[in-house]
Amino acid sequence: MNESKAYLVKARLSDLIKEYKCSSYRELCIKAKTSPNKTIENRIIDAISTNETLFFRDTGPFEVLQHKILPDLIDRRTERSSGILPIPIRIWSAACSTGQEVYSIAIVLKELLPDLKKYNVKLLGTDISDSAIGQASYGTYNKFEIERGLSKDKLQKYFVPNGGNWRICDEIRTMVSFSKRNILKPLMGLGKLDIIFCRNVAIYFNLEDRIKLFENIAGILEPDGYLIVGSTESLTGICNIFEPKKYLRTIYYQLR
Amino acid sequence: MKQLKILAVDDDPFTLKMLEKKLGKEGYDIETASDGIKAIKLIPEKFYNIIITDLVMPGGVDGMDVLNEAKNKNKQTEVILLTAHASVENAVEAMRRGASDYLKKPINFYELILRIEKIKNYKKLLKNAQDLREAMDVTEQNASQTIQQLEMSVAELQNVVSEIRQVIITHSIDPNKCVNRVLDIVSSF
Repeated sequence: MNESKAYLVKARLSDLIKEYKCSSYRELCIKAKTSPNKTIENRIIDAISTNETLFFRDTGPFEVLQHKILPDLIDRRTERSSGILPIPIRIWSAACSTGQEVYSIAIVLKELLPDLKKYNVKLLGTDISDSAIGQASYGTYNKFEIERGLSKDKLQKYFVPNGGNWRICDEIRTMVSFSKRNILKPLMGLGKLDIIFCRNVAIYFNLEDRIKLFENIAGILEPDGYLIVGSTESLTGICNIFEPKKYLRTIYYQLR
Repeated sequence: MKQLKILAVDDDPFTLKMLEKKLGKEGYDIETASDGIKAIKLIPEKFYNIIITDLVMPGGVDGMDVLNEAKNKNKQTEVILLTAHASVENAVEAMRRGASDYLKKPINFYELILRIEKIKNYKKLLKNAQDLREAMDVTEQNASQTIQQLEMSVAELQNVVSEIRQVIITHSIDPNKCVNRVLDIVSSF
């Protein structure tokens, strides 16, 4: 945790400390660890995590994905493929929160590749928060969440009204799988990935954790794979294995 | 936040008078309509922050129609429904359609004012969140331009440095050639 964010954590945990009658943050932490179920741990995660996200947050990364990354990747993969098996495209949204980013990626894929059957698309969203993953998996958004970033045209095409809310259509929903994951732990079990979105997550980590995270990411990225970080993030001084490249007005990274 | 503009709609003249008097006393800018027909004539003409309407009214335009008209005109308008005990189910249906609250008759004015204040606070928070978000977007855009420019410049400089390093390794026996080659690289950057 970044030092400057410490006050934030304190403020956000003070209610839980009172509720569980703890005298310190340490005591709350011990209570969470020793409790037989995960209720306290999950509530701590929810209290301190920032779920700020929206559909097509910054248009840049999705333009790069649609016009540069996916076409280039598919060209190379098609050359390599036997023509019999569908071409694999494996994308990971590393801290997907309530799912807006990963569904936006799915929508881009759907629009770019009308014949999705030709591809073996694996689209994975992970987050540390159970409740965020729950909402993401359910794919239902209220009008405030939906109005931000999503065009009317896309709303009509990919969402169905659900009570007063909107639910992602089955076609897009089934393209994505979700699971809980702490990205500061070793990234085992994810396999090799072609494209990784890790936006606006590392900003909350200290330098040491950032270095560890991006080194781990480098380890599971295909040699010609792509990494996209948040628009205000930089890997300078954090991870020299990645080389920044610019397309239109957005930077993406590839291994050197 | 500026003074709230409220429209009260009820076919019962006593309730309407009471609403006008009590809410006026609280300092709200209150207007009245004695039935649904009059209300839906007023709604397109100006913006109301809150519309308080009776659910069951004669004349073919009831509280539900007033709610629809208000929400069609401006989603920002919040609607509170007044309902007799028997029509609570309808009020729940109205909330599904976008009403923010309902109150059972006879009106408890203390409660009504609390609900109005709650709506007011909620609107204020919403506005705050929107303002913050806008400010964040602008800051983020500026910051990202700067950071991305720096990121690309650093990468270019790193390439130059490694090119120079390469020259020094390969031409280290001939210092003149080495210096000239390095100067070439630096001047072409």
